[in-house]
Amino acid sequence: MEPDAAQNPNPNPGPPPISAYYQTRAEHHAVISSDWLAHAAAAASLPSSDADADAAAPLPSPGSNGGGVIEEFNFWRRKPEAAEAVAAIMALAAVIRSSRATTMMELEIELKKASDKLKSWDATSISLSAACDLFMRFVTRTSHLEHEKFDAAKSRLIERGEKFGEISLKARKTIAMLSQDFISDGCTILVHGYSRVVLEVLKLAASNRKLFRVLCTEGRPDRTGLRMSNELAALDIPVKVLIDSAVAYSMDEVDMVFVGADGVVESGGIINMMGTYQIALVAHSMNKPVYVAAESYKFARLYPLDQKDMTPAHRPIDFGVPIPAGVEVETSARDYTPPQYLTLLLTDLGVLTPSVVSDELIQLYL
Amino acid sequence: MPEVQPLVSEFVLKLKRRKVEGSHAVARQTAELLRSVVSQHRMGSTNQAAALADAVRAVGEQLIAANPVELAVGNIVRRVLHIIKEEDISSTAVGIEGLSVTADSDDEYDSGNDDHPTLSAVVLAAHARNALRAPSLQTLLEDIPVSTALSRSASSTGDSDGKSGDKSSKARKLKHDVIAAIGDLIEEIDTCYDQISEQAVEHIHQNEVILTLGRSRTVKEFLYAAKEKKRSFRVFVAEGAPRYQGHVLAKELAEKGVQTTVITDSAVFAMISRVNMVIVGAHAIMANGGVIAPVGMNMVALAAQRHAVPFVVVAGGHKLCPLYPHNPEVLLNELKSPSDLLDFGEFSNCMNFSTQDGSPLLNVVNPTFDYVPPKLVSLFITDTGGHSPSYMYRLIAEYYSADDLVVRRKSTS
Repeated sequence: MEPDAAQNPNPNPGPPPISAYYQTRAEHHAVISSDWLAHAAAAASLPSSDADADAAAPLPSPGSNGGGVIEEFNFWRRKPEAAEAVAAIMALAAVIRSSRATTMMELEIELKKASDKLKSWDATSISLSAACDLFMRFVTRTSHLEHEKFDAAKSRLIERGEKFGEISLKARKTIAMLSQDFISDGCTILVHGYSRVVLEVLKLAASNRKLFRVLCTEGRPDRTGLRMSNELAALDIPVKVLIDSAVAYSMDEVDMVFVGADGVVESGGIINMMGTYQIALVAHSMNKPVYVAAESYKFARLYPLDQKDMTPAHRPIDFGVPIPAGVEVETSARDYTPPQYLTLLLTDLGVLTPSVVSDELIQLYL
Repeated sequence: MPEVQPLVSEFVLKLKRRKVEGSHAVARQTAELLRSVVSQHRMGSTNQAAALADAVRAVGEQLIAANPVELAVGNIVRRVLHIIKEEDISSTAVGIEGLSVTADSDDEYDSGNDDHPTLSAVVLAAHARNALRAPSLQTLLEDIPVSTALSRSASSTGDSDGKSGDKSSKARKLKHDVIAAIGDLIEEIDTCYDQISEQAVEHIHQNEVILTLGRSRTVKEFLYAAKEKKRSFRVFVAEGAPRYQGHVLAKELAEKGVQTTVITDSAVFAMISRVNMVIVGAHAIMANGGVIAPVGMNMVALAAQRHAVPFVVVAGGHKLCPLYPHNPEVLLNELKSPSDLLDFGEFSNCMNFSTQDGSPLLNVVNPTFDYVPPKLVSLFITDTGGHSPSYMYRLIAEYYSADDLVVRRKSTS
């Protein structure tokens, strides 16, 4: 776009960097908009010191496979069914497998380096850093390892790490099973955006021959809601698509709201696609329950006090018409929903009230 | 177990015919019945705990089916199942830790036979304790197959001892421990009123005005205890139609010297602004902190919220249910006879079923229970202390195991 960009070492006036997390989701789920394509092209043409870390290939330092972990991670991440957190854990398990350490301490240090690298690759993804922390915690908690030889411990870590991929799929199935009682015949469910967990829940309900209909928001700006409605229609579930502003209008006929989560924070609130907070507020004021379906590895040690209290994650918005130069655009991709607007969290640890989250985190980390 | 079947059938019949009323009585009788079941169960040589749990589950299934609305039955059944698991794990852990002392000497012998890495006793005990707790983030990655590891070491215990006498004594010990624990449970049910009443002094102060609805024995004991400690307070008792148990409670309180006023249920909203605190009993407390209470309670809770009056629920631990309420007004409710509300004689022409179209002109609905959502409850006072509704999940995790939510027989024999 700007020929000056190549000479300008600090491209601050350029567009804000796209959060890599939403980039992946856009690749998997969304409709590619022309604006996004232009932005991606611009980003590719800038020097490699830009935020797009895919272009960067860090030199492997002797004795560690720093660059290798990012490649491994990207390999797993590309699969549309795998969650990002799972990809991270598989990558870390691969690090252990290829490590040449001979003591637990050395192994931990290597893992810590790899984990930090993964986290810095995308500072905005909550589930990624939560999963890395969980794995590191598992490795460093030596109570179950102190009586074993190093090789046995190492092989067990690798085995558990690789089994974690199954856990993600199993987690979705557990959540789907737990949610079945909440969906009754003849109910109307409102969903927001494209969540694989919520889709699994609705799939199972449909296969159990429950009669229900779904109202699906469009989910601008990446319109993932349209993809969701396609999937639901393919399952023969009656679907109605709403624009995001029509949520309050339709909330009367809704019986319950089902959303996924990008991350579950310590207060019991959730961080999810932009628009979730709005929907939760409307549902709360009209006494409709809001159920969040989230796997347990998304529990993160964050405590946002307001909407701006998180690492910003941006996503370009295609308005279809050019925006005049002086006008600002709010491009944040996600918002924070406080726990008092959520009714229950459906996780693979069971059906939880929002107050359980901090309890779980304390038990694990402190 | 043919000896215990007549007892079970008798109790099932009593539950079906609603001859046993009130969660306290039901809980106590269920616990006593299950104690008899356990004591008369013939312990096999292998897998004793699982077989015992299965026997309890078989009986429990019948009891729960007899009266699904009486949640105390299911609560006690699940408590007993949890007790069995706990006792089994604690006895096995002790056994393993005892074994590890002897295992060291057999180390060279063992390492030749085992192809799996042997796990130390401490590790196994820790994993066993983890298996009992609800699934949590900690155990998410530690999926060690505890049951196979434990049974391997348990069988190696048997092998190295070589005597069958030891196995049966272990079985007898398990049975004995379970029966003792169920005895503790029965005592807990009996003494719940005392434990709750002890906390009365902290909540009722001088010159307070308290509102209650209907007649709950727990509330009665609670108020008596405060009166004993010389607190001066007044009580408004809503009569609790259609059974009018509030009249009985008012009489009892007046006899103890408490200044009491009887009001109709409809007057609750009018009086609530003059009230300091609402104290009520409950039929059951659900896992989300919601309350199944005698009919009319939801109205009182809404009035209390509107005027910012604390709504306190007193209930014993046997009323705590690990299930989530789905559509409780319909599924967890009982519709009683319309004769409580209307006299058959006077209204017989409206309620006559032999009219041309076959349906009565007048319908009478007489529900027993009401559902109070957790956001309307300020405090739960149980025998373990005062808790907020969002804390209920912790108590549930302590008393119940996650896989006992559906009580169904597992083995086919």
